[in-house]
Amino acid sequence: MFNILEQLSNELAEKINAAQKSVVQISNGKGALGAGTIWHADGLIVTNAHVIGKRNLKVILPDGRAHAAKLLAYDANHDIAALKIDADNLPIIKVGESRTLKSGELVFAVGHPWGVIGAVTSGIVISAGAALPEMARGRDLIAVNLRYRPGYSGGPLVNVEGQMVGINTLMTGPEVGAAVPVHIVKAFLRELRETARVDAREYVTA
Amino acid sequence: MQVLKNLSDALAAAVEYAGRGVVRVDARRRLPASGTLWSNDGVIVTAHHVVERDENIAIGLPDGKQVNAKLIGRDPTTDVAVLRAEAKDFVPLVFATTENLKVGNLVLALGRPGNSVQATLSIVSVLGDQWRTPLGGMIEKYLQTDVVMYPGFSGGPLINANGEIVGMNTSALARDLNVTLPTATLRRVVEALLAHGKVKRGYLGIAAQPARLPGSLKEKLGQELGLLINAVEPNSPAEKGGLVLGDTLLAVNDQPLRHFDQLLGFLAGDRIGETLAVKILRGGEAKEIKVTIGERD
Repeated sequence: MFNILEQLSNELAEKINAAQKSVVQISNGKGALGAGTIWHADGLIVTNAHVIGKRNLKVILPDGRAHAAKLLAYDANHDIAALKIDADNLPIIKVGESRTLKSGELVFAVGHPWGVIGAVTSGIVISAGAALPEMARGRDLIAVNLRYRPGYSGGPLVNVEGQMVGINTLMTGPEVGAAVPVHIVKAFLRELRETARVDAREYVTA
Repeated sequence: MQVLKNLSDALAAAVEYAGRGVVRVDARRRLPASGTLWSNDGVIVTAHHVVERDENIAIGLPDGKQVNAKLIGRDPTTDVAVLRAEAKDFVPLVFATTENLKVGNLVLALGRPGNSVQATLSIVSVLGDQWRTPLGGMIEKYLQTDVVMYPGFSGGPLINANGEIVGMNTSALARDLNVTLPTATLRRVVEALLAHGKVKRGYLGIAAQPARLPGSLKEKLGQELGLLINAVEPNSPAEKGGLVLGDTLLAVNDQPLRHFDQLLGFLAGDRIGETLAVKILRGGEAKEIKVTIGERD
């Protein structure tokens, strides 16, 4: 009986530790603002639009190295931003499928609540999609049964395979977190690739 | 072996399975609430407090269809309402007893305030004996979880890891605590409502209001408030017992009375015929009289 719990706990820690290697801090030079996720090994970071400052944008990698970051694009409606830092061989997050998320699935949020680095919280998917009354007003979001605290924003929501399925974004009630699904992030990055050079500094989709 | 993934898949499967029996109950002005299919002839059980109107009740079925429903009856003391939907051939869920439930077991609360089923995960926090709600409803087993009740979850089921229903969640039974009505209570109340349209209630035949006691009596009796009787029904158990207009109720069975709900707590259906020791204040003197609980028509 108990070794199932132990195994569960070990597997959980393993998946979360793997995901944490791809989670960065985003700072505007005045202190940490939130979290971000390494999407490409060559320095592409995704985060929330609401965590980025206009100036002195910095990304702090899990090993503590700080990099000046360039804002590639942001979409205020979907609350997504893409940043670029000058680095390579970064540990990328595994990307999962958010359209097939089921109500009841276990999920984990990684981020830096109140500045606590590399924290995690767990919950289940309440429901996903654009039809969540009193939660999302028509926005395509994943509603999760966990509490986002300031500093989780921009970090990944991961599934039991350690794959990113969303970006931790907001609370819609005292106990309801909402994440931007990763298929919205993919569409945003696809549009960015097709319509602008990746280094287009001021490109804005909002 | 992948315990974590298996657990996650099993949770989602339990939600999918039980979600086939969770409906939207649209019977109030704000956000709709949830209900559970009780039997394949269209009976739905939900929370009394979410059924704010007796007519124009709409049910959202798991397949997305919307049908009308009639109110069969309600029991405010346990917060249960029974509806009958104009639809048949439901697949009712499995109702399990709470016998095998243990503190620490995983349970899920389901709701359907919108089109899709929603779920939250928790564990059983407390299991206790039978208890009475503030309005006197008898609950067969105290079942408390740390489940989070989202808006519109009232009336939805609490399910175990097999997807079987172990109770109905409602936010109205206890303030700040998540107390679930166990299936034994649901079954008893639903059967009574289906058979009689109501649940047996005891009654005394008085109207009363809280009244402040005079200073000297306050100290002598050790309480500040009583219930001043402002009406006694003719031929009622209260009249037969000797209560008259102007008496102030101080205590029943040695329990001081401060508000009317405390009196209702003594009048559950299973106490009909029981004789209560009623302490009253009459003409400045405290005295005790006996009143036998009658049955409300």
